[in-house]
Amino acid sequence: MAVVLHKEYKVLRDDYGSAGKVSSDIKQTLNSIGFDPKVMRRIAVASYESEINMLIHAFGGDITMDIMDDGTVTLVFKDPGPGIPDLEKALTPGWSTASEKARAMGFGAGMGLPNIQRVSDAFDIQSSEAGTTLTISFRAAQ
Amino acid sequence: MKCVKACPTSALSMADNRVYIDSARCINCGRCVQACHNRGLLAQGSTLEDLKNYEYTVCLVPGALISHCSNIEEAQDLFHAIRLLGFDEVVDMTDVTARQLQEAQLMADSTNDVTYISSFCPVINRLIANRYKVLQEFILPVNYDSEIAARLIRKKHAGRNVGIFNLCECEAKLELAKFPYGNMEYEVDHALALVDVFPAIRKNMKQGKDPVSFNVRGLQVCNPARIVQKDTYLIADGFDKVCAVLDMAEFGLLNQFRLLFLYPCFNGCIGGHMLWGNSFLMTNNIDALSDGKRRDVSYIPFDDIYTEDFLRTDEDTRSFMERTIFFRNVNEQLEKLPGYDCSACGMQTCRIMAEEIVKGNKKIEDCRVLHALREKKNDNQRTD
Repeated sequence: MAVVLHKEYKVLRDDYGSAGKVSSDIKQTLNSIGFDPKVMRRIAVASYESEINMLIHAFGGDITMDIMDDGTVTLVFKDPGPGIPDLEKALTPGWSTASEKARAMGFGAGMGLPNIQRVSDAFDIQSSEAGTTLTISFRAAQ
Repeated sequence: MKCVKACPTSALSMADNRVYIDSARCINCGRCVQACHNRGLLAQGSTLEDLKNYEYTVCLVPGALISHCSNIEEAQDLFHAIRLLGFDEVVDMTDVTARQLQEAQLMADSTNDVTYISSFCPVINRLIANRYKVLQEFILPVNYDSEIAARLIRKKHAGRNVGIFNLCECEAKLELAKFPYGNMEYEVDHALALVDVFPAIRKNMKQGKDPVSFNVRGLQVCNPARIVQKDTYLIADGFDKVCAVLDMAEFGLLNQFRLLFLYPCFNGCIGGHMLWGNSFLMTNNIDALSDGKRRDVSYIPFDDIYTEDFLRTDEDTRSFMERTIFFRNVNEQLEKLPGYDCSACGMQTCRIMAEEIVKGNKKIEDCRVLHALREKKNDNQRTD
């Protein structure tokens, strides 16, 4: 399997004004290549959720997208911390560390990570105080 | 050049002082026509000459035009004036529009997990087919009101040579007819541009009155502030705002809504480019045109209401690899371009220029900015 397209993005710390820009570009890229809409939908949902997590819970980070020759899309979200203290809980639907205020605004329903896991075909997450790396893949029906 | 810049889908380009429109990209939104300060771009409709080709002629009048009348008497005058253009029958479409709305609501209210998108605007349907393919399956299969109305008229006068003319308030609706653009799949025969026929209508005013009775719910559909409101419906107007809503829908952020009513024109169809009045004033007219009675909508067979045509898209014949490699090559060319999106080369953006370079239609030397930078460098070398 060889990489046919590689893209890199940066999410700056607390740059809420740019929230969603990376996922928009990912979405547009896949749309112009002409991916299957069903796969595109899953990728759009997962990339948006992960990008926003990076903004809300971490100090920004780096995002890469690799499209393989068989149509597989792999996204890597790598942030420099502070890490997820209890990964097992974070993967439980409904569990959230968001404040009451954030919840009132509609954030932090605790569905973030479980949702990403649900829509992706492969899911891996590594976290320590030095940062979190989330790797998700999607197999494309071409 | 303003038209090239105004295009939301990068369909326009310029070469040798001519404007070229890529029909695969164009969504008929009409923003180029609006932006043109030289009146060089026009969306033309059929002419009244075409009335002669039919034994019996019918004119369809959209709610957006009716909303230009500030009271029932003005509307009666308007319908009479339109009939004097040579039509045997002038049909108000508000009843059909109301049925179209009812059907959309029935579908939206009977689901708990789907977010449907209203289908009444051809620009939205084309925009989604172009840029928001993820959402295409959620466009309601409810046909355009002009099509539903035309099918009913065709049945009513079966066996006769009936010409159905749709009076259009915007550029996009001119496409929803057999002529002048040759879209033979439509039931409407001719699309008339309101701006073309309005002078003739004006001359016929104040010469009589035809009876009218509008279905207010249908009339309300042409405006986002008047259309039926519900907490599970999201109603948005204005091109950029509509795009923002579609982006959110693709990210799965609007799952709490059952129906999205989207109007690319500000203030809805009342803000149609071929209408002249202030769209806020027209909005109030909708209330004045109501006779206060709530009407049941007419019975229309399902076959005449539903269509699956919105789901049709042109198949890309290139393989996945070809498409991806094309995209990668475009990105490589884009790196070499200055990224000013100045349009001096005739292309709207550097990305479109990069695409044209990869396709072999343009050369990197055609970039005016790079050219200027090279010249400057040469000048500097000479002075050194």
